[in-house]
Amino acid sequence: MMIFSAELKKGSTEMLILSLLEGRARHGYEIGKLIEQRSGGKLKFALPSLYPRLLHLESRGWIKGRWVEKPGERHRCYYRLTAEGRRVLAQQRRTWKAYIAAVNEVMGTGDA
Amino acid sequence: MRDWNAYVRAHLALPGFTPTRQARIVRELADQLEDFHREGIARGLTEAESDAFARRQIGDWDRLAQDVWLADRRHARPRLERAALRLEDAAPARSKGFMMLANLLHDARFAVRQYASTPGFTLVALLTLALGIGANTAIFSVVDGVLLRPLPYPEPERLVLVNEIVPQYGSFSVAPANFLDWRRQNTSFERIATFTSSSATLIEGDTPERVVNATVSWDLFDLLRVRPVLGRTFAAGEDAPMKNQVVILSHGMWQRRFGGDPGIVGRQLSLNGTPYEVIGVMPAGFTFPSRDVEYWVPIALDTAQPTRGGHYLAVIARLKEGVALQQARAEMKTIAERLAIEHPDTNRDESAEIIALHDAAVGRVRPALLTLLAAVGVVVLIACANMANLLLVRGSGRGREIAIRTALGAGRRRIALQMLAESVVLAVAGGALGLLLAYLAIPTIQTLGTDSVPRVQDVAIDGRVLAFTLVLCLVTGIVFGVVPAWQASRASVSDVMKEGGRSSTGSGGRWLRNALVTAEVALSLVLLVGASLLLRSFDRLTQVDPGFRAEGVLSFRVSLPPTAYPEDAHRQAFFGQLLERLRALPGVMASGMIQSLPIRGDYVLSFTVQGRPTQPGKDPSANYRVVSPGSFEALGIPVRLGRAFTDRDAAGGPLVAMVDEAFVRRHFPGEDPIGRGIDIGNGTDGFYEIVGVVGDVRYGGLDARANPTMYVPYEQDVFSTMWVVTRTAGNPRDLQGPVRGVVKDLDRGLPAYQMSALSDIVSNSLAERRFSMFLLGLFALVALFLSAVGLYGVISYSVSQRTQEIGLRLAIGAPRGHLLGMVIGQGMRLVVTGIIVGLAGAVALARSVSSLLFEVTPFDPPSYAATALVLVSVAALACYVPARRATRVDPIVALRCE
Repeated sequence: MMIFSAELKKGSTEMLILSLLEGRARHGYEIGKLIEQRSGGKLKFALPSLYPRLLHLESRGWIKGRWVEKPGERHRCYYRLTAEGRRVLAQQRRTWKAYIAAVNEVMGTGDA
Repeated sequence: MRDWNAYVRAHLALPGFTPTRQARIVRELADQLEDFHREGIARGLTEAESDAFARRQIGDWDRLAQDVWLADRRHARPRLERAALRLEDAAPARSKGFMMLANLLHDARFAVRQYASTPGFTLVALLTLALGIGANTAIFSVVDGVLLRPLPYPEPERLVLVNEIVPQYGSFSVAPANFLDWRRQNTSFERIATFTSSSATLIEGDTPERVVNATVSWDLFDLLRVRPVLGRTFAAGEDAPMKNQVVILSHGMWQRRFGGDPGIVGRQLSLNGTPYEVIGVMPAGFTFPSRDVEYWVPIALDTAQPTRGGHYLAVIARLKEGVALQQARAEMKTIAERLAIEHPDTNRDESAEIIALHDAAVGRVRPALLTLLAAVGVVVLIACANMANLLLVRGSGRGREIAIRTALGAGRRRIALQMLAESVVLAVAGGALGLLLAYLAIPTIQTLGTDSVPRVQDVAIDGRVLAFTLVLCLVTGIVFGVVPAWQASRASVSDVMKEGGRSSTGSGGRWLRNALVTAEVALSLVLLVGASLLLRSFDRLTQVDPGFRAEGVLSFRVSLPPTAYPEDAHRQAFFGQLLERLRALPGVMASGMIQSLPIRGDYVLSFTVQGRPTQPGKDPSANYRVVSPGSFEALGIPVRLGRAFTDRDAAGGPLVAMVDEAFVRRHFPGEDPIGRGIDIGNGTDGFYEIVGVVGDVRYGGLDARANPTMYVPYEQDVFSTMWVVTRTAGNPRDLQGPVRGVVKDLDRGLPAYQMSALSDIVSNSLAERRFSMFLLGLFALVALFLSAVGLYGVISYSVSQRTQEIGLRLAIGAPRGHLLGMVIGQGMRLVVTGIIVGLAGAVALARSVSSLLFEVTPFDPPSYAATALVLVSVAALACYVPARRATRVDPIVALRCE
């Protein structure tokens, strides 16, 4: 299995969280599990590293936590994207794609 | 199932967060742990296994708390700071000052948390600062209380002392006739008054007691503008002879001896056997001219036929509003010079001088106190250098934290301000400790300074001292914090985000740390040189041969009141009996009397040598002592030539005198003085025949030259107050009881006062030097200690940074001794540089302490050499400890770190 370094993960966590919240509001445990599932277990964020990221994003005004009671579930904190968060996510996506493209370009040329 | 809320609350410390925010974070984490627990159950784990699985999710709670803090500190701020943040969002430009304040508060809170997490660093830092700031607070409180605070009288800056200037002796006491002329002729003074100090025997009840008093002209209190708390002060005319039987008590005497009796005014007191009526009591805290004065009586000046030849008055004046000191000086000079022309027999070439009362009171100790103030200034500079170094090293260990803060959007300015806030917090905490140190030290300083520093009893930590300490703390915090703050703010994010990245360990940082240590060594050297110069001076002084032997001698004073002993014959009879009885006491080897003890100052008279005519006013002068038979023996003064006085040298017999060797050298060089005549009474008594020569005695103090001295037998010039000196084989203090008994037996109304071992008097004469030497020595040691700590810190840090290099060297076979030398050498290079710089500084500054030195030049090579040696030894030790640690590095472990 591929192991990604902490540095690499650190840089992308925020983007991952923002994109997971794009469609709907989610709670913390759910976010952690989704990252793990969608990456096929390659990306794993422990609670102690994920949770402060959420707080940080919230304190920058990109996401907003709210206590919600859903039928058949406990009262818990759901995070949703703010308008500002949406804008930041779009920007990050653009940057990321451009970066990946540039890296691929370089690496592709290097392989050939 | 576990209560996860309680579990999280028990493990996660979130100080500084608002309660609402804390509750939310705790609940959210608890929710997630509960999710993990459910996950465990869903996977088929047992209840206990699921619980453990959930708990494993958070391993390092402290780290989590720190990360939560960093991520969410916006919510951790108190309400005020949040308000500031909102303001900033709304109008960044307008709320700048407010923002800074809010940030500062936040930074301070953060700093406290930081320091709590590194107790070792914090302890060293606080100790360093407490020593530096405490020493400054203590000495500033002394300087403030003694030199800066105005005298406790209204408009004290207008009070001056007026002295005569006499050609032979310089500044001198004033003759009554001159004082009266000054009072009539001057236009500069609002008032001019006179006073002298003396002592009298007070008989209240059984025990006679000697009390210090001041004899003053009637208007002294009006001049000082001090009102009595009870009764009145003297009225005009009450200072005339025969009308002066009135007394004003000090508050202390009123309380102590009369229990604060409100009906004291009008009571009669017996002073020196004469009845006096109490007319007033002065307020508490009023002292004049010295603290020990217990009452005031009017001076009885003979205004009809005042003397112009006897100088014994002190003169005080209050300048008129708007009259400058210079103007008054010029006028008094003119008046005195006019009097010199009008009265050539007595006033030839005389002049007058004016000194501000404050200068007269404390001017003598100013050089010593300012030297000490400079010394503690150096100590606090060293403390600053040390702190800057500690913070630099610490800052480099905090790379990761600073990196996170930078990554989270903190600007350079913000980081630098935060570092500064941290250093100021530290300085204030250290300062508080220092204040405590100073508070504890002041009583010791007062005891040490009792006999040498005027007003030292008034020294206290008051608002002014507190303000000084606070300002010093802030300045200190900024001074030692600015370099590390600058360093931290320069760190680039990409550098420090790298794993294990360090922000301030570059060559710039090392250069700075080395420079700071070098400066510390140099400053310590300057202080150590100063201290050793004083130490050597003191040592020289204690080696001085005073010309007498103080050990084993008990001395005390006896004063015969004129009422009970009106005639010379009465006094001679009493003194004769006293000596006879004292010599009969067991253990007494010799006993005698002298009118003024050695060390306590000269008593100078003019004289003429038989057969050597001089011009009027140009007579030679010499120190004069009246002694009884037995006094040379008791004092251990050797007779070099001729004979000592005996009981046959009595009143009415041939006039005889003895002189000392200095007198012979000056006035009879190469001649035989025995048999020569000297006229001491200026023609009134005739010539005294010199019968013997004694060794030189330093009457003016251990640090004063032995001036030519003449001795006359006490029966031929009877004084009413004499010092009695008694030599015993044992401890002179054991003789106190028997001696008091003898005096009491002879006259129940007569106290034997100022009784002490003569060696204590000699020792007290060095009190001022001991004061400066002790304190300067102490500060030099503190400086040495701080520099050693600084050096140790820098070398230790450098060793820890070079672990891998050292390991590599060991691995390729470098001998451990070689490594030891390498590390010590690195430290000693700094020390040697510091010593060279310090020696240059010391040479430049040594001149400023020259007034405190005795028989030691400011450039005394042994002092410099010894100091450098001490510094090198201490520094070598400070380097040796970390160097030894370096040689114990395990090469394998060291290399694995890479």
